[in-house]
Amino acid sequence: MILRTETGPKVYVLVWLALLALLALTIGSAFLSLGWANTPLNLAISVTQAALVMLFSMHLRSAHPLLRIIAVIGFFGIAILITLSLFDVLAR
Amino acid sequence: MANRVASLAPQFDDPGQQRTASNLGIWLFLATEILFFGVLFAAYAITRVRFPEAFAAASRLTSLPLAGTNTAVLVTSSLTMALGVHAAQRGARRALVGWLSLTVALGCAFLAIKAVEYRLDYLEHLVPTLDFHYAGAQADQVELFFYMYFFITGVHALHVLVGVGCIATIAVMASRNAFSPAYFTPVDVTGLYWHLVDVIWLFVFPVLYLISRS
Repeated sequence: MILRTETGPKVYVLVWLALLALLALTIGSAFLSLGWANTPLNLAISVTQAALVMLFSMHLRSAHPLLRIIAVIGFFGIAILITLSLFDVLAR
Repeated sequence: MANRVASLAPQFDDPGQQRTASNLGIWLFLATEILFFGVLFAAYAITRVRFPEAFAAASRLTSLPLAGTNTAVLVTSSLTMALGVHAAQRGARRALVGWLSLTVALGCAFLAIKAVEYRLDYLEHLVPTLDFHYAGAQADQVELFFYMYFFITGVHALHVLVGVGCIATIAVMASRNAFSPAYFTPVDVTGLYWHLVDVIWLFVFPVLYLISRS
């Protein structure tokens, strides 16, 4: 059974505005010399943008728990893959 | 005809169960897509950690104005798709066809801008195998970045192309009155696919174009 609470056009427009604002922020931050912090900041903004799209536009906020688990599992697998691969490269 | 499509398939108890099943199917597919692109990101992460200076220098050669515009275009197409799904939920056929057509147009705009960008890269001799010349230090590692750049953006563009094809098909079906508030599964699942293509680009954009701009 899918628990679909109505997400209205107003929410979609707000998400869109937030995504564009975050896009401006991520581009702007890339022109600042933040040293090692540039990339983590860009990635944190990407994660925020992805979360907005997945929660609201893709209705995960109101989706069946099974769908949410499947949505997260892909990212979880990739996080393990990248982290363990980097352990190898960085500790060599 | 619409009613025949709208009817409940015999293996399901009710429309809610049928919709959960189709959503479960598309989300499983999307999880494999996340894994597929994730492997590319893993390869990228390993090479970038090994050759940070070369990747920073190579990233500065990509076109930020075109890629930034493209990000805005794709994010906007995600909005029009979401509004299309909303129109399908309400059974607003003309709005649905309109939003889907707009999404197709934005998807085509993304691909057109991508083509312009690839042409610029070619003119600047940045296409590995075909025509690659780089005068600075670590030319081989810079070339490696461009292998990844073309593979990741190329595979992503292919996904956009497939998405445009699917959405155009759905738009034609919608104009023939194939959907109703009781049955709009194709609109729903195509929308989820399109949003995921957008989500993947939101990660592709900073890692390829924004490494070192300051």
